Amino acid sequence: MVPLENYLVLSAILFSLGVYGVLARRNAVLVLMAVELMLNAVSLNFVAFAAYLDPDKITGAIFAVFVITVAAAEVGLALAIIIRMFRNSATANVDEVAQLKW
Amino acid sequence: MGAEQAWLLAAIPAGMFFVLAFFGRYMPRQGDYLGVLAIGTSFVLSFFVLADYLNFYDFEAGHTAIAESIKWSTIGVGESAFKLRMGIYVDQITIVMFGVVTTVALMVNIFSIGYMKGEPRYYWFFALLQLFVASMLMLVMADNLLLVYMSWELVGVCSFLLIGFYWEKRSATEAAKKAFVTTRVGDVGLLIGIILLWRATGTFNIREIIEIAENGGIGSTYLFVSVLFVFLGCMGKSAQVPFHVWLPDAMEGPTPVSALIHAATMVVAGVYLTARLLPLFEVADGTLLIVTIVGLVTALLTGFMALAQTDIKKVLAYSTVGQLGFMFVALGSGHPDAALFHLMTHAFFKALLFLGSGSVIHATHHNQEMDKLGGLWKKMPITGTTFLAGSLALAGVVPLAGFWSKDEILHATQNWDGGWALILLGFAAVMTAFYTTRLFIRTFMGEPKDRDVYEHTHESGFLMTFPLVFLGILAVVAGFVVWHGVGTALGFPGGITEFVFLEEPERYHINWALAGGSVAIAGVGIFLGAWMYWGNSTEKSTRLANWNPGVYDMLVNKFYFDEMYQKAIDRGVLGFSYLVAWFDRYMVNDTGVDGSAQVTGYSGYILKFLQSGRVPNYAMAITLGVVGLAVLGLVVRA
Amino acid sequence: MTFDEGQGYAVLATLAAPLLAALIILFIPSEKKMAIRVVAAFFAAVMLGLSIYIFAAYQAGGDQIQMTLKWVWVENTAFLGKDGITLHLAVDGISAPMALLTGIVAFAGTITSWKLNYRPKDFFILYFVLIAGVYGTFFSFDLFFFFFFYELAVMPLYLLIGVWGSTRKEYGALKLTMMLVGGSVLIWVGIFAVFHEANLGTFDMQRLFAAGNDGTLSPTFQKIFFPMICIGCGVLAALWPFHTWSPDGHMSAPTAVSMVHAGVLMKLGAFGIIRLGIQMLPVGAEFWMPGLMVLGIIGAVYGATAALTQRDFKLLTGYSSVSHMGYVLIGLATMNQIGVTGAVLQMFSHGVMTALVFLLIGALYDQAHTRDLKDFGGITRVMPVWVVFYTVAGLANVGLPGLSGFTAEFHIFVGVFRAYPVFGGLAIFAAALAAAYMLRMFAIVFFGPFNIRWKDLKDLTPLETMAGGLLIGSIVLMGVWWAPFTDRIGHTVAAIPGVIG
Repeated sequence: MVPLENYLVLSAILFSLGVYGVLARRNAVLVLMAVELMLNAVSLNFVAFAAYLDPDKITGAIFAVFVITVAAAEVGLALAIIIRMFRNSATANVDEVAQLKW
Repeated sequence: MGAEQAWLLAAIPAGMFFVLAFFGRYMPRQGDYLGVLAIGTSFVLSFFVLADYLNFYDFEAGHTAIAESIKWSTIGVGESAFKLRMGIYVDQITIVMFGVVTTVALMVNIFSIGYMKGEPRYYWFFALLQLFVASMLMLVMADNLLLVYMSWELVGVCSFLLIGFYWEKRSATEAAKKAFVTTRVGDVGLLIGIILLWRATGTFNIREIIEIAENGGIGSTYLFVSVLFVFLGCMGKSAQVPFHVWLPDAMEGPTPVSALIHAATMVVAGVYLTARLLPLFEVADGTLLIVTIVGLVTALLTGFMALAQTDIKKVLAYSTVGQLGFMFVALGSGHPDAALFHLMTHAFFKALLFLGSGSVIHATHHNQEMDKLGGLWKKMPITGTTFLAGSLALAGVVPLAGFWSKDEILHATQNWDGGWALILLGFAAVMTAFYTTRLFIRTFMGEPKDRDVYEHTHESGFLMTFPLVFLGILAVVAGFVVWHGVGTALGFPGGITEFVFLEEPERYHINWALAGGSVAIAGVGIFLGAWMYWGNSTEKSTRLANWNPGVYDMLVNKFYFDEMYQKAIDRGVLGFSYLVAWFDRYMVNDTGVDGSAQVTGYSGYILKFLQSGRVPNYAMAITLGVVGLAVLGLVVRA
Repeated sequence: MTFDEGQGYAVLATLAAPLLAALIILFIPSEKKMAIRVVAAFFAAVMLGLSIYIFAAYQAGGDQIQMTLKWVWVENTAFLGKDGITLHLAVDGISAPMALLTGIVAFAGTITSWKLNYRPKDFFILYFVLIAGVYGTFFSFDLFFFFFFYELAVMPLYLLIGVWGSTRKEYGALKLTMMLVGGSVLIWVGIFAVFHEANLGTFDMQRLFAAGNDGTLSPTFQKIFFPMICIGCGVLAALWPFHTWSPDGHMSAPTAVSMVHAGVLMKLGAFGIIRLGIQMLPVGAEFWMPGLMVLGIIGAVYGATAALTQRDFKLLTGYSSVSHMGYVLIGLATMNQIGVTGAVLQMFSHGVMTALVFLLIGALYDQAHTRDLKDFGGITRVMPVWVVFYTVAGLANVGLPGLSGFTAEFHIFVGVFRAYPVFGGLAIFAAALAAAYMLRMFAIVFFGPFNIRWKDLKDLTPLETMAGGLLIGSIVLMGVWWAPFTDRIGHTVAAIPGVIG
């Protein structure tokens, strides 16, 4: 059996990549994809811990399913927002969209 | 009915107040006869109370008072409970006050039917008279200080409403306000005194407080202070210096009200309460001296003030204050009998004088300046004659009522503290005789000053002359009750001073030296007045006034008391009020409350720049925050 | 069902009546103004009847807390133990007169609002929610619901003043709400602190009162948290220097809201000090009372002094309210039976007389559109009934014997003199100032030469006369025969452990 650490390390790498993507990328679609990466890292953690700590129950797996569901909904919503954004200001660069303040 | 039901005396007029106030205006004649009926009933009932009391009265056996009370309210249980009882207490003082108040009130009511005819709010006037009399009757029969205070304040508010009866006139409103607020200042003292006495004794009952104080149950300084506070209230109500300023202004009210206020229902309340509590004053060392000094100062100062007044009613007003000063001197020398005797005779002749001046004012179409009157005796024989009787009684001419009672007061003061009080009182009495003579001559004798006014004057109707005649007779004969023989013939145990006493009855014996002195005083005053003003000539007096205009101005301006008070109020009280209002608006509200709101708003204004609107900045902040928290968690755990 | 429980349903009905009224009005179309008014008046009358019943049925010699109704809301879960949160409604000798006051003022306010024409539907819904909050606070013996109803009473005020008010209404409404909510935060913190410290897992007040007395709430804790609760509640009771919402709030509020606000809501603050402060934290109360006494005296003298030169009717009344609520605080601060009883009497007395004053000011302002005293003069000629009513209310303010103000102030003075004689002198002095500012107002407005500009002013309408008559009746009843009040209040006050004889 693959030890838990491997999963965790993989998950941490995925999460860090996601964080880097969110912070460094300027294109809104790429930022969204980076967020998905982070969510996947979390799901991976859930499943891994569930399998190792309490194999009889599938609590972790259920959470992973929830995460996927929410992520799907989130993508739908976020893409809609990005399309509106692009239509209004002809850009998908998150730096240039800064109207939402005071 | 017996003396136990004496509360009916107050209850009947009080009930009539409500009847007249609510329904008076719809009744024929606006219900004035009901007012007379109610007070008349009280008048008659007061004789029943008197008869029952005399039946019961037995000094030898120690039966001197009838007390009835009921439980009113209780807070808490057991020893520490706060219990209030309300009740009546009828003794000699109460009986005398009953007689005085109901008699004068009845006469004033009858007089008012004629005097107030055709005035607006006629029913309301009669309603207020009922309440006024009812509260005064309640005041004199209350067995506890709480009830005294309650009726005391009711008397005050009735006087406020009656003095301000002609409220369309700004001056009447101001006078009413002045009367209420001035007496209210004294009432603060009264309430403090009452509560202080309660604090030491645990009761409001007058008898019990006196008993505890006499047995030394209250510390002497404490008692002194609380008695002084109580006396402050008496000074306010009885218009003693320095609270005298409201009484002359109170002349703005209808004249019958002045008669009532001055003779029976208001200003004598202070004398009554001091007499009632005199045993306390006697226990509290030094308070009697203060009472005497206040009385003397008042008698002298107001005597001077009355010299230069030209308004009939104002002269009478100052004379009332002065005579109240006499009563306080008597009380201060420990003689409530003399004070109450003078209170009674004074009530009769002062009511007579006020009603007489009311008759003049009515007949001359609201003219009350002496400068426009004169020679009215021919036109108004009944008013003139009864007014003369009243004036002579006030001046203290033998054998009218005022002579006997003033003589009693002089008699009371002679054995007291050297006799300086006697000399000063004598001087005040000379002035009284002088200005009374001046008043009478300038109004009723000599040549009329204003022909027009004179021509239109006519004698008043029966409803107004009857009370004058009735009171005139009383002003002549009421003094005789001081004699033992007269008293016993009337069914009393003795003369009035034997009847009204606190420690031991004292039979009246004429003191020839004093009586002679008294007659001489009256004679000198009258002679001087007559010499100065005979034939209604103001020539000599004008010369006197011009001799030293400064002194004369001071007298005309009443020693500048009003101006002083006005300045103190304008600059002191109102200034302080503006200051507080300013402080509240600009410091507490604008700076404190709105200021903190503005600080909040301003910090928001600054902090809002943290919000750049750029998502990556927020994401960076979140990331840094999470990392920071994680590091912190590790550090704390380690 | 025992008799007591049956009476408990009467209490519940009193609380439910305004909510039901709000609900029914919600379903009446807003154009049917008359129907809305009739429903409102009907329920107000029902509330008045029930309040009178509750006051009369409270047995002054019986148990402390009567007419109990206890419905468990949440218990035995997570941090809550037995009786965790219960709808515990009951009446004691302090809440009985307060319920009566609420019934009277709410009824008078409702029929005074009869002529209100701007969105009466929304007005009455909010109004009745507010009333429900007031009743709920007076009846609750559970901290959670106490606070819930307290907030329920405060919140509608913002809209009621902001929408139906006048004269800088947004400012007045905002300031009032913000200050009251600030006070609420302090109370909320205090409530949780007490819950945590007592560690009983319950919000039930009776058990927490016991905890306050048997030492479960340590003296140090009580001393720290009493000021918090006292100031929190004190804001609503116009505790100096947190009183400034009162003049502005009253100036902006519409008539009925002023009536209910000054008449009843301000009493919630003082009531909170009694319930949460004196009854629950007796040691802290005893420790801090001299401080409250000083603030009360300052408030009483300060309000009366500031009132002396005001020119606006409502500002004048606002400051006199500060002064009179100062007396309530003075009475509470004496911590003896007479003083605390006097404070509750003053709560009732101030409630009815201020409600009457605001009713009358509203009746005048609706016609004259000015509240500047100097604009008037001699209006007795055109509005005699109005003037008589105002005179009675004003004289009650002044403390004239025979009217309710005297009864209350007298008991307070006696209480203060027992505890702190010097402060007593100051308190009585403030009462003399009351005479000065009241009579000044009388002289300017009622008397003097008639200002012809006001020849078309109408006297009170029959409905207003009825409402005013009800209030005057209460003023006179309490002024003349106060035993029914003192019996009930004293019965409860004497049993509060921190209060001495």
